[in-house]
Amino acid sequence: MKRFFSRLGSALWDALKGIGRFVAKLWAHPKGRIGLIIAGLLVICAVFAPPIAPYAPYDVTPRAEKGLSPSWAHPLGTTITTGQDIFSMLIYGTRVSLVVGITTGLATAFLGALMGVLTGYVGGFVDMLVMRIVDIMLVIPTLPLTIVLTNLFGKSYFMIIFIFTLFGWTGLARVVRSQVLVLKNSNYVRAAELAGAKRSHIMFRHILPGVSHLLIMSTALTSAGIMVAEAGLSFLGLGDPTAISWGKMLADAQSGGALLFGHWWWIMAPGIGIFLSVFAFMRIGLAMEEIFNPRMKQSSGLYKLFKNLNNTYLQEVFDSMEEDRLEEKVKPEPTEEREPAGVS
Amino acid sequence: MQKGYVIKRILYTIFIFFIVVTLNFFIPRIGVEDPAERYYPPQGNMTDVEYDIVKQLTREQYGFDVSTFQQYIRYLNDLFHGDLGTSFQAGSPKVADLIASRIPWTLVLSVSTLLIGLFLGLLIGSYAAWKRGQRVDTAVLNASTITTALPAFFIALLLSLYLGFEWELFPAYTDPNMVASFDWSWRSISLVASSAALPIISMAIGSVVSYAQNTRNSVIAVSNEDFILTARAKGLPSRQVLYKHTLRNAMLPIVTNLGMSVSGLIGGSVVIEQIFNWNGMGTLFLNANNTNDYPLMMGIMLFLSLFALAANLVTDLCYCLLDPRVTVGGSR
Amino acid sequence: MKRRLHTGGRRLGGLLLSAVLLNGVLLAAGCSGGAYERRGDTSSTLYIGEVASSFPTSYMPWFSRDGIAPTIANMVYSTLFDYDENTGVYTPRLANSWYYVDKEGNPIVTEDGRVDYDRLEEVYGGSDSAFFPVRFELNPDATWSDGTPVTVEDIYFTYDLAANQKVSNHAGALAWVNDLLHKYDTNTGVMKRQGIYTYDHGAAQAGYAISEEEKDTVFYFEVSKVLGAITPLVSTVLILPKHIYGPIVSAENPLNNTDPDEALSYAYSHPVGCGPFTLDAEATNSQEIVLHRRKDFYIKAKDGSDLYKVDTLKFILYQEINVAIYALKKGHLDVLDSSISANYASLFENEESVRLMKAPGTFTQTLVFNLNAPTDRVTPERTLLSDVRIRKAIALAVDQQQLIQNVLNGEGRPVSAGLIMETMPDLYNPESDILAGDTDEKLAEANAILDEICPTKDEAGYRYTEDGVKLSFEILGSPGEQEAISFLQVLLQKIGVEVKFAAKGNSPETTYLYGGNFDMTIQGVTFSLSNIDTMYNAHFSNLNRSSNYGRLQDEAINAKITEMRQTINLNKKYEAVKELQLLTAQQYYKIPLYCSNVLSVARTDRFTGWEQEDGSTAFNLKSLENLQMV
Repeated sequence: MKRFFSRLGSALWDALKGIGRFVAKLWAHPKGRIGLIIAGLLVICAVFAPPIAPYAPYDVTPRAEKGLSPSWAHPLGTTITTGQDIFSMLIYGTRVSLVVGITTGLATAFLGALMGVLTGYVGGFVDMLVMRIVDIMLVIPTLPLTIVLTNLFGKSYFMIIFIFTLFGWTGLARVVRSQVLVLKNSNYVRAAELAGAKRSHIMFRHILPGVSHLLIMSTALTSAGIMVAEAGLSFLGLGDPTAISWGKMLADAQSGGALLFGHWWWIMAPGIGIFLSVFAFMRIGLAMEEIFNPRMKQSSGLYKLFKNLNNTYLQEVFDSMEEDRLEEKVKPEPTEEREPAGVS
Repeated sequence: MQKGYVIKRILYTIFIFFIVVTLNFFIPRIGVEDPAERYYPPQGNMTDVEYDIVKQLTREQYGFDVSTFQQYIRYLNDLFHGDLGTSFQAGSPKVADLIASRIPWTLVLSVSTLLIGLFLGLLIGSYAAWKRGQRVDTAVLNASTITTALPAFFIALLLSLYLGFEWELFPAYTDPNMVASFDWSWRSISLVASSAALPIISMAIGSVVSYAQNTRNSVIAVSNEDFILTARAKGLPSRQVLYKHTLRNAMLPIVTNLGMSVSGLIGGSVVIEQIFNWNGMGTLFLNANNTNDYPLMMGIMLFLSLFALAANLVTDLCYCLLDPRVTVGGSR
Repeated sequence: MKRRLHTGGRRLGGLLLSAVLLNGVLLAAGCSGGAYERRGDTSSTLYIGEVASSFPTSYMPWFSRDGIAPTIANMVYSTLFDYDENTGVYTPRLANSWYYVDKEGNPIVTEDGRVDYDRLEEVYGGSDSAFFPVRFELNPDATWSDGTPVTVEDIYFTYDLAANQKVSNHAGALAWVNDLLHKYDTNTGVMKRQGIYTYDHGAAQAGYAISEEEKDTVFYFEVSKVLGAITPLVSTVLILPKHIYGPIVSAENPLNNTDPDEALSYAYSHPVGCGPFTLDAEATNSQEIVLHRRKDFYIKAKDGSDLYKVDTLKFILYQEINVAIYALKKGHLDVLDSSISANYASLFENEESVRLMKAPGTFTQTLVFNLNAPTDRVTPERTLLSDVRIRKAIALAVDQQQLIQNVLNGEGRPVSAGLIMETMPDLYNPESDILAGDTDEKLAEANAILDEICPTKDEAGYRYTEDGVKLSFEILGSPGEQEAISFLQVLLQKIGVEVKFAAKGNSPETTYLYGGNFDMTIQGVTFSLSNIDTMYNAHFSNLNRSSNYGRLQDEAINAKITEMRQTINLNKKYEAVKELQLLTAQQYYKIPLYCSNVLSVARTDRFTGWEQEDGSTAFNLKSLENLQMV
């Protein structure tokens, strides 16, 4: 019992130290610093929303007049429909965005890693089965499915997180899988196999740490992408109607007549919020990628984000190219790696 | 070699088709004892007797009075005859008819966005790759982060507010009669063009930046390859180097990207359509959701899935033709 | 190298520029057409904006769902009479008059032509007759829009069809004619009892006198011995032309058909009705419905001129209310057939040719308690609600004026606890307004009541019973009711009761309230002269799929409802309703929150004479009668 706790404690301590080192590395990187600062501010807003926000959005007694323009009392004005202070709603909105984004990011990373390691290492039947399931899932369009499922089972953020996770792990799984295929052939894994270690032991002690950088990066970039997607879904009205979310603020602005009245502040506020949160996490993710993979420094953010969220053929192309290349790594490398399609 | 792959791919697609169809059949029936109640919810002032009669009529009308298996067979049978069901809307139009009437309008938006994105993206991307490291290049890099962080519907709202409502450069909303009175006259076409301008601009911004990025990256990646150096060393004129070798090879990932986005052509603009009240598939689906029109919702879902499936198949086969390396068990 | 790229770039740039120019040209051209139709229109055409998700693609004459279809149907087709719910007056449409007749065939009327209820009770009060005979006289000038005269054959055909649900395929129609004793065996389709008699259909055998000259205009009904029975029969059933539908409709090809054959499709899209308007099938499409006034309409205004002065009605579909309001503001519409929220009032303050009108509403929003949940839905909180004292305390804490001020911006009025409005003097019982009074006094009384039952409070001030059950309830509501529920939170906090918003529609159990899975909910109710029979039963007594979601079962109320429905003396009936109001108010089961006004906008630059009736928007038949071109 004691040994279990001490092992757990030391594992946690290692993790914390790792996180600390990692944050320091990010801080040193110029892009990462901006991302960290903004993300930090957002987290503070989310956690300490009640003291920061000047008015509590759910409190109806001090409701101001409806549809006010920005002023000192209300820095971003009030809504037309209910008279709530928009600035306070902006602060409270960070909660939903950050929770949904980060939770989905972590869950996707977890699931993607699990599936990637399993299919990559175990291979064979498991691999084939999972890939077929992935093919089926890729065909069903996500947004209409989300709409149908929230109609049948109720609107809540849990449902949204569930659907995003369900459909989001495929991209990461493929990347992890290809990486696992590389690691599978490395010397220390082969040694462990020969030594008679259990498969699960190998998977979690040897292979998983090898892909850990992928996971961390994927968490950040996926979170960024999910925040935008969640804003879109909340805009369509599929999230919890009682929660304050930026997407819902935009939807309320549109249906409450902000366009008619010309209240640009009601529209700009949640938009800036979405922008800042996505920007911050993307910067963190990109910085991480550049830290772990200096060769990629020249590539751009969208490209990498794209690679992470992309589920189909682009990734398959890369994988197929990489797989073949990996198999050849064991044999002596051929002189001409790539044959371009159509040189004279 | 190629033929085997093609046949395998098609068979596989058919297999997935059946699974998707079956899923589509069962999803609205999950957890509901009596689907008739979902299709005709009880009204407050109906007596029990009347409601039972109504339910029985609903069951007969929508075919719930037979066993689930028989319903499934009937469903498949209808599907092969092109019947996706009957909507709840007043007048009971067929789902297939509704979809057919709305698709062209969605395509107007998405195909225009695609073309503009490709066009401008290629242009800007190659220019940025050419001027690698200079201001244009870094501007493009930063633009990508910004446009990902600004969702298209937010840009759409801002454009709608300023260009539509405040300054009235474009129509603030889509004329309700635009669809029904469309008669290929000059006036109709210009009305469609001016109403479509704002939605297309909102979606095109992100699309242009995305294609620019991809072009820039693949051009740079290909430019660094040995064979380009070989070609230049050989003394080939640089124009030939650019067009014949660099761009053609750089196009491959872009074509893949293009292929992937084909399946998003129909389902991808739901939010934008809702903002501008554009009469496309997106608003059809959202309205079906709001009115609990289950046949229409599931019909559209099925249609979108099948469309994605077909698009993937075609893309896959086309890619096979374009890049001989990517074939199952292909030789090198 | 650079030059080469520049040339290529320039070429592409040139293409781009020309594309932009082309779009600009198209834009300029587009500015002159389409939506701006109304501005140049000098004809007598009314442009009406409708906010809906879609327009019907074809018009089955009887509709069971809502939307614009019933409105159109009511203008193209006619009922026998129009019934005014506030005054109880029957306005002749297809028929000129109706009266109860006694056994000799004499009408049971007073000297001024109204129903003589005392004599009615005298003649039919005993149990030896199970029905009332009613005599009708049609308007002899009534014609269908294709010129054919309307006769009793059409009436017979219509009501026969309505009662036979195999041929009508419309269960709603069955409900309309429930009280007409025209019964078919639903299994065999064999007629068990005939409830309608014309000259050619058994009038003489049944003993009803119809002379030779009257045979096309006089008919008799046999109606259930309930006073309210006649109203839905004469004011909801749209009469159908026998010469159109008779040859087409059968059990294999029913009237309400989702898969109609050619003939039926044609009948749907080219409706022939006896109403004041006809549908222009060619100009009508999925975004616009066009109706033309019948110049030969047989009902005239009091001064002999045409009843309606507007020649054409164009209904235009908008998906969203904001877009429709913008369209009205820009002059693309004459009137908006949707009520708008009070928030938009400031938009029209400086507009000269736009009139913002208000009318009192007819729907009361009430807070309903679940006080008798089914056994599988019982929770400690719902058991608390079955105690009438707790309900009374909550009712006392609800301040209608504050709710109206905060939620509706003042656009509403409070309603008596008996739920019947003062505008109905025949029914309204002032004694039932037991929730009126000074706010502070009511709060003090509520606190006093609760102090006796649950004096213990937690730190936040919410009460607990001795068993440790917190007075915390969830109010099931739609997103639009969040505001109201937030204010209720504040109001009820003052007596130590906590309420929270629960979203409706998360699952079938929370959508279909008859399952009883809720603590409280917000429900709109409306009582009027025409619906007291069904409404009282549905809201306070019936345990099946009706509106009695909280499952109130009070013996006194049930007895009174039965008495009210069965009495055949109208005055006694109204007395019973007055007593019922007091009884239901004292149960504190449905607490009135507010009755919101209907705000509606119309432009006055082409038409004037807008008149808004209670509960309706500026676009209604009364307005249509008054509208004149400027």
